[in-house]
Formats: sequence, structure tokens, C-alpha cells
Amino acid sequence: MPSEFPMNDPQNIWKNQPTEPFTMSANELCRKAQQHERKARFEALYSIIAGLMLFVFFAWRFVQPYEVVPRMGVGLLSLWGIYYAYQAYKWIWPGRPTPDATLNTTLQSYRSELEKRRDHGRHLWRRAGLTFLVLGVAMVIVPALIKSLDTPRLLLNTLPFFVLLAIWLAVFLRLRKRNRGKLQQEIEELRALEM
Amino acid sequence: MSQDSLYEQAAEAYGSSLDRLARAYELDPEARRDLLQDIHLNLWRSFAYFDQRCSLRTWVYRVAHNVATGHVIRQRRLRNRLVSIENIETLPGSEHGELAASQTEALERLSMLIQRLKPLDRQIIVSYLEEMDASSISEITGLSPANIAMKVHRIKNILKRWSEEGGHHAQ
Repeated sequence: MPSEFPMNDPQNIWKNQPTEPFTMSANELCRKAQQHERKARFEALYSIIAGLMLFVFFAWRFVQPYEVVPRMGVGLLSLWGIYYAYQAYKWIWPGRPTPDATLNTTLQSYRSELEKRRDHGRHLWRRAGLTFLVLGVAMVIVPALIKSLDTPRLLLNTLPFFVLLAIWLAVFLRLRKRNRGKLQQEIEELRALEM
Repeated sequence: MSQDSLYEQAAEAYGSSLDRLARAYELDPEARRDLLQDIHLNLWRSFAYFDQRCSLRTWVYRVAHNVATGHVIRQRRLRNRLVSIENIETLPGSEHGELAASQTEALERLSMLIQRLKPLDRQIIVSYLEEMDASSISEITGLSPANIAMKVHRIKNILKRWSEEGGHHAQ
């Protein structure tokens, strides 16, 4: 049996573990950084184009002559398309890190990462322009549903979908609230530790 | 000094430490390689703004820990299971009761302990294992030296307890 147990000197164990050399040069890292930026720009551009295509499609539907309320709904959806493209430009378009961001201590950086997570959930509705989307979809669907009251069978067929949707929404909101509470608690603990 | 030469100087001086740091945040070898590449990439980028307001070592560790912490935060399921040093300290001994007879086993257990910790505590234990003093760890993390000293004391207690349990099992 060994008389000295390895855990007696954890720093020695840690520092003497085998390591692999990192083989990329500064030039290769520069090329990699450029590749990342190109990829991020492409993804942003893809979202912007998707938003603009939705805008064109719904705008084209809007000018077609049909009932007023669904037409207004389609108009709102076309506005949502352009809002989505704008948000994609604003939030996804890659920017260079600010000097202050790299000067932050790890505690500040960790807290601000958690705050970003918390605020992302909090502002998801606004950022994704869900007000336009939900209102637009409702204005298209609700008149059709009212019409379908004449044929109750159609309404009965769609009922399970709406029940499942309501359950999913309730669970989603509850989980989101719980997660946000945990994040807030951790952020407050970190604030208390800041000098 | 140019961005490239600053990076090369940092990679030369702290390359092995960064490799060990990546191991503290990611056990899977493939994901670890990606994380290490990400750390080096961000380090190279960051040197465009290096103005010597802090030492090169503090800068390197801040950037590396910040990138690695971001990696942990993105894994929400994993993040929710992480605990603080204080929580680990109160766990019953049987949790760690097995004997770590060899260096490899001891390193494995040490890694398992680190992997269970919340990012801030993980940063402190890694810095302690890299033989930094409380004021250096304080400069990197932004926690007060007194707070660091208390956390390091707790880490030492946990490791001492493991060591004693190992000895007890061997007798």
C-alpha cells in the first residue's frame, strides 16, 4: 500500500498531467476568425432574406381583394416579416468585441452572461416581434373559425390541437418563469460578491 | 507589440495551462479540442485591445475563463446541476469514499470534482491548482482576496478529507 496518497498534493497532480501542444499559428487563427465572421454574416443574411421574402409574400397577399379582417391580418404578417429582418440585422449581425468586454473580470463577465440569458427570455416576445405575428395569425384564423361554427364537425376536429397548444403554452411559461427565477437568484448572489 | 506577437508570447508561456484549463471545463476530448481552439481564437482576437492595464497572465486567464464559462452556460441542462464549493463541502464522506491509489485515479477524481462546480468556484479551484496566490486569483476573478482565501480553505478541506478517507480505506 502506498504510504503517501496522491491526493495529498493536488497541485502537483494537476500540473503534472499530460497536455497536448496547441498547433495552430497566429496566421491560422486569423484565417479561422475570418471564416467565423463570414459564416456569421451568411447566417444573418439568410435570416434577413427570409424576413424580406415573408414581407414580399404577405404584402402580395395583402393587395389581393378579399375580406377586410383577414386582409388586415396578412398586412400585419407582412409588417412582421420586415420587423424580423430588421431584428436579424440588429441582433445577429456580428460586431467586434468592445475593449471593455475583454477587460472585465471573470465575475463581471459571468454575471453579464447570466443577465443576457435572463433578458433574452424576457425580451424574446419583443425581439421576435411576436405581437405582429400572433395578432396577424389570429386575424386570419379567427374569422375562418367563426365561419366554421356552421359546420361544428370541423371545429371538433381542430379542438385537440388547441387543447394541446394551451397545455404546451402553460408548461412553457411555467418552466420559463422558474428558470428566470433561478438565473435572477444567481445574478443577485454574484452582485453581492462584487467588490 | 503586434497582436500576433503578443498572442505568440502568451501561447508560449501559458499554452500548457490553457490546455489544463480546457480540461477543467470539458471532459469529452473532441469537445475539449473545440473549446481550446475557441479559447486561443478569442485570445488572439483580444490582443487587438491589450493595453497593459493588467498583466499578460491576468489577461490570458480572464479571456480563457470567460470563453470556457460561456461554454458551460450554453449547456443549460448541465448548468442546472452544478453546485458550489460550500455544497460539496457538506456532502457526506461516502460520496467520495473510494481510494485514489494512483496519480491517474487522483487526477480523474479531481477532474470530477471540478466538473461539478459552478463556473466561479471552478475558476478559483483551477487557479489554486495552478499555484496562484489569493491576490492573483482576485485580480482575475474580481472577488475579494478574503473571499478567495475562504474558498481556497474550503477546497483544501475537501481535498484533505478525500486524502484521509483514502488513507483510512488503505489501512
